[in-house]
Amino acid sequence: MLKNRLAVLAGAAAAITLLAGCGGDAAAGGGPKLALDAALPASVPDGARIVVGDPTTQKALELSGQLGKVTKFVQFANLSGGPQTTEAFRAKALDVGAVAEIPPIHATWTGLNVRIVASKFRQDPLNHPIYELGVAPGVEVKTLADLRGKKVAYSPGQAQGALVLKVLKKAGLTKEDVELVELPSTGDIYPNALAARQVEVAPIGGVAIKRYLSKYGKDGATTIRHGLRDDAAHLYVQTASLEDEGKAAAIRAYVAAWGVAQDWIDKHPKQWIEGYYVKDQGLSQADGEWLVDNAGHPEITADWSAAIERQQETIQLLAKETGNEEIKAADLYDLRFQAVAAEAIKAGAAK
Amino acid sequence: MSGQTATIGGVRAKREQQAVTTRPVRRRRRLGPGKPIRFGAAIGPVLLLAIWSIGSAAGWLDPRVLSAPWTVVTTTGDLIADGRLQSNLLTSTQRAFVGLGLGILLGTVLALASGLSRIGEAVLDGPIQIKRAIPSLALLPLLILWLGIGETMKITTITLGVFVPIYIHTHNGLRTIDSRYVELAQTVGLSRWTFVRRVVLPGALPGFLLGLRFAVTGAWLSLVVVEQINSTSGIGYMMELARTYGQTDIIIVGLVLYGILGLLSDGAVRLIQRKALSWRRTLAD
Repeated sequence: MLKNRLAVLAGAAAAITLLAGCGGDAAAGGGPKLALDAALPASVPDGARIVVGDPTTQKALELSGQLGKVTKFVQFANLSGGPQTTEAFRAKALDVGAVAEIPPIHATWTGLNVRIVASKFRQDPLNHPIYELGVAPGVEVKTLADLRGKKVAYSPGQAQGALVLKVLKKAGLTKEDVELVELPSTGDIYPNALAARQVEVAPIGGVAIKRYLSKYGKDGATTIRHGLRDDAAHLYVQTASLEDEGKAAAIRAYVAAWGVAQDWIDKHPKQWIEGYYVKDQGLSQADGEWLVDNAGHPEITADWSAAIERQQETIQLLAKETGNEEIKAADLYDLRFQAVAAEAIKAGAAK
Repeated sequence: MSGQTATIGGVRAKREQQAVTTRPVRRRRRLGPGKPIRFGAAIGPVLLLAIWSIGSAAGWLDPRVLSAPWTVVTTTGDLIADGRLQSNLLTSTQRAFVGLGLGILLGTVLALASGLSRIGEAVLDGPIQIKRAIPSLALLPLLILWLGIGETMKITTITLGVFVPIYIHTHNGLRTIDSRYVELAQTVGLSRWTFVRRVVLPGALPGFLLGLRFAVTGAWLSLVVVEQINSTSGIGYMMELARTYGQTDIIIVGLVLYGILGLLSDGAVRLIQRKALSWRRTLAD
């Protein structure tokens, strides 16, 4: 009788352990160590592998026929943006993530050790902003000063949240002068919250701007420009990945491929609209054209000093508003990668 | 018990009274729901569709908030022409079925383990009730930490969502098997395994099938949660992408698809129920 019971228990235990699989294999390199100030290896050793969350570049590499050059050492994961990449970093399931200005700062504040290894900006950034301030139907906001007393959507930890703080600073307002409504900005939450008049002002980006105006413009919905730089886009990695020689080499090679891919996107708008926006993302041709026009041209420089300065200003503002310690922006950048993407683009153009 | 005998006694008294009186016997009132209506299952959904269509046609429903049914149909047509709908549906279906299969297996094994042995119950039942109280969405961050962002995590999430209803209902069905059958099995000297095969499993079947009805829809529901993370395909992914771009009509296509899938899988399970439990004589027949 007891034997039977034990057999039953053993069976149940086995079923439970079946479920407990194994975690991610990123950031757990067993290869030779590399100091954080040692020169980067020029070639990727056999067997080195990194997991990269950068779906847009993945598509660009595919469309430009360059994907085969990186698949030997890169495994792509379809995630990007701060919340998802930091979560995957913690799960040791990711080496490289594509994000905007804020996530590297936030990741550091939440105890992750990360470094920026590639940066892309926009030429003429003030006329090609990523975000505009959406204004709810029937609300009068013509200038930044009109924000006083309005209900503004605010998501701490995301680029949109930092943008709101920067806009208030530019308008000479404090957090007390407006009513900040904490709301995460994912999917279509902001445009919907504006349309339903749950908030009066919210930063909306990309094709959401066009759709918001075309859907709710007849009800009196408007957008205004904020006149600030919001164009930073980075690749960032876990520092642990850089300490593994094989992974560091793979990251360097990926950053070079990334640079060439950004350049290809800029030079082939037709293929990009057709292959990415229409076929892959399910947008209309018109939406794709609008997005390409609004993005303008990318700027990938071999000198990060100005970018580091701007990032420091952002950190100061955020630290003050969120009560976190002020970190050094320079510590977030791995300067060994500073020229990698720009030089790869040059070399590609020379061919 | 005594109340029951009293009512039975009452009924008997009434009958005797009716037999004694010479008045013509009136037709007794029907207490069950009566004969089934033909195509009765379709009436509710069709009514819902009619209200939606009328509301859209009359302009009571803002198309920006809820697209009209015909917009959903044309969008579905576009998605099918693209091939996006089929490929996403295929991925989702595979995930749902693998998760469902594992969940059914796990739920049944655990229900037997905890239903047939006191030790099993003491060890298993508590943790499973705790798991039941924890929403899958809230577990997701932990599952990502433990299992990464690959397919393992996705299928585990579905399995965890599915096994609970199977367990609960099978366990309950098993525990409510009439003790007469257990005594009979002991009297004729059945081995434990034969007892499980001949008495326990058939006896727990009604409960198991009810659990399965919850589980099949649960499997589809879990999809939308897991496909928002590191997916490049699936209905959940398609809807999430549409959210990013504010394409309400695609979101509703996804919702309608979930509704149809849920209704179809539920219908399939009910069909199995009817076939498998044909020996039952209940209020439903």
